Amino acid sequence: MVDEKKLQDKAKETLIRDDVRRLIGWKRSTYGYEAAPAVLTDASQADQLIFDPTCVQNLASFISLEEKKPVARGAEPDTRKIAVMVKGCDSRAIVQQLVEKAYSRDDVVVLGIPCMGVIDRRKAEKLFGETAGQVSAKVDKEKVAVDIEGDVKTVDRKDILMDKCLRCRYPNPLVSDFLLGEEVEKWADDDFADVDDFEKMSPEEKWKHWDEQFSKCIRCYSCKSVCPMCYCVECVVTQLKPQWTRRSTDISENTAYHIQRAWHLAGRCIECMECQRVCPVDIPIMTLNRKMTRDVKEMFDYEPGVDPEGEPMLASYNPQDPEDYIM
Amino acid sequence: MGDYKFAKDKLAEVLSALEEYEVFAPEAIGDVLRFKAVSDPAGVNLDDYDNTTVPPKELMFPQTETLFKYRLGQTDVEPELPDPSSKRVVVGIRPCDALAYTIVDNLYGWDFPDPYYQKRRESTTLVGLACAVPCSTCFCPSVGGAPASEKGLDALMFDLGDVYYVKALTDKGEEFGRAAGLEAAGDAESKAAAKQGEDALAKVPRSIETTGIPEHLPALYDDTFWEQFSDRCLSCGICTFLCPTCHCFDIQDECESFDGRRARMWDTCMFAEYTRHTSGHNPRPTRKERTRNRISHKYSYFPEKFDVIACVGCGRCIKNCPVNIDILDILEKSKQAGAKEAKTA
Amino acid sequence: MTEEYEPNIVAFLCNWCSYAGADLAGTSRTHYLPNVKIIRVMCSGRVNPLFIVNALQQGADGVLISGCHPGDCHYLEGNFFARRRFMLMRKLLEHVGVDPGRVNMSWVSASEGAKFKDVVDDVVAKAKEAGPMDQFRRRQINW
Repeated sequence: MVDEKKLQDKAKETLIRDDVRRLIGWKRSTYGYEAAPAVLTDASQADQLIFDPTCVQNLASFISLEEKKPVARGAEPDTRKIAVMVKGCDSRAIVQQLVEKAYSRDDVVVLGIPCMGVIDRRKAEKLFGETAGQVSAKVDKEKVAVDIEGDVKTVDRKDILMDKCLRCRYPNPLVSDFLLGEEVEKWADDDFADVDDFEKMSPEEKWKHWDEQFSKCIRCYSCKSVCPMCYCVECVVTQLKPQWTRRSTDISENTAYHIQRAWHLAGRCIECMECQRVCPVDIPIMTLNRKMTRDVKEMFDYEPGVDPEGEPMLASYNPQDPEDYIM
Repeated sequence: MGDYKFAKDKLAEVLSALEEYEVFAPEAIGDVLRFKAVSDPAGVNLDDYDNTTVPPKELMFPQTETLFKYRLGQTDVEPELPDPSSKRVVVGIRPCDALAYTIVDNLYGWDFPDPYYQKRRESTTLVGLACAVPCSTCFCPSVGGAPASEKGLDALMFDLGDVYYVKALTDKGEEFGRAAGLEAAGDAESKAAAKQGEDALAKVPRSIETTGIPEHLPALYDDTFWEQFSDRCLSCGICTFLCPTCHCFDIQDECESFDGRRARMWDTCMFAEYTRHTSGHNPRPTRKERTRNRISHKYSYFPEKFDVIACVGCGRCIKNCPVNIDILDILEKSKQAGAKEAKTA
Repeated sequence: MTEEYEPNIVAFLCNWCSYAGADLAGTSRTHYLPNVKIIRVMCSGRVNPLFIVNALQQGADGVLISGCHPGDCHYLEGNFFARRRFMLMRKLLEHVGVDPGRVNMSWVSASEGAKFKDVVDDVVAKAKEAGPMDQFRRRQINW
């Protein structure tokens, strides 16, 4: 576990640095099973920072969310760094952003946190019901202890952790300037059994499933807004000229949107599962992303967000790539 | 107005009796609820339902709605107005969502009476279902509602264990009671319902004192106050699309080779495109301005114009926000910031 | 009388090989099926996978992307990128429930007029088997 005092001290130390503009961490939310991201600019605010299994958000998303305001004539642009706290899975987003040259390594200070898993809000609400109170939690190798305003409940890890944590292969940050806390041992592996199961369905069954799911979509674009890899200045789905996807919501446009979204993450998705977590209408978005991840690994032996020196998957090729269906 | 009741297990029969109406009720796909036209009355379940994920505002202004169609070479257009003679009834709408209609009515009947919205409103009977247990993020009493509020409803149902007590509130509600063939209720039910309403009111978990907020929000217009919230905003449309009072729309033309339609669709001030000009200039360039606009529109601009806060306390924006942007937290903190601002000014 | 179903195929052909191959098929008076509607692009690597989704939305029942043989690309490596892309895109569409026979890719050089005919025959046969694409076609605006 991470010592919160140590974490806050490190945050203070980082914020005091002249070359750091802001620090992104987590703080206790006003209510419920999920913490809130905290964007700090001053060392005096560092006391509110926390890290526990409620810290589910991938903060790597927030690096690119900050708008670049025009700089006044004669003024120098603010080139100071952004400090960001990352869990193991989140760190892969940073690696992949670096691979894609979204920014350079010198632009960020990465405070890595070894993580033992985070809570799935939906699972927690099923177990303990909704709460208007504040929640904190602790996790060890077997159990998660959830503290709802002093009322502590202990459950098995698999009943409450996010699915991604149950198959987590990178609990320790892959990139970091400072590591807060001891490295933890890897406890799981990923066999993509869910993808295999889905593939057993016939095309008709698959479409029936997606027809129902995509029909629910209200196109709030939270899945793309929260995605750490969706950092395009102008997204193709909101572009008007040419307008690839119409704004109207029907099964045609919704499907096109979701195919586009999944496609743009092929070989880039680092499986932080944020898209699925934020979806207000519970569309199993990760099903598409995981299919891509699995196939990219199988066909091109590529894994995104692991090697900072690597190349983006679709911007590289191997002359021996498979081409079994090409006539 | 009459008081009615029917046994809970007769719900399907009651809904089937409403032959002249198109019936809408909450339908679940997984854990997500949404109002849909009922195809199978036996499948309607009003037990253990907090509220729908997507608010029933879509029944009055659908997310995508054709305004009219046109064709190349033709000079006139074909408007697609809803048929006002078709009768619709929404069963199980929560009092907060019904209250939202009364707020949005102001806007759609203001400088230009919107025929699409108004025709749907006129032809729809709203049969509410009082909340016995409020959700974890509700604060309806703070903004003029209540778990058993009657505002905007034509009839209000109470879940009294094994019977539904139905209180007709308007002529439309009375007509619904007759059409459904409900039996008259007695004093016992009406008392139990009143008690339930009071109990539920006491259980509403959150609250805010709104006095003064509309007045002091404008003072914070240029304040850095907003950044503490907007810095973590994702600029997604969850809060606004799921808000029962958010009513902004975009109008787009969709054309095929010779035919086209002009359609309007929900839009949200949380998207950067919402205010972007053709020139590329954006008067709300960052999330700060957009967050400020959402809160200020509900709690300052709308009350200024129509004398009512455009929020019904349903708690959807709080509950569904992925980054815990909590409107009550913002309003509470705005009071302190507003007071400070007033002092320095 | 029931008319036989004739699928619409949109073909994206690269300027340097496949388009010339199709041209050769024409000038050699090879009869290839008229279901195929050809769009000439400079390279198979120029074909954005969103073109495929959009074509399926707008009424195509099948799509063909064709370029130079690997190693022969006019731009040296455009078709290698295209190959990766469409291998994946096909898998994605398959996962959504689109019949895999609707997305096709081929290598046709400028001298392979006969091969172009075979490819088109094959693509049309597969699209016929899959039937009309109605899963996420745009709703027609009817008067």
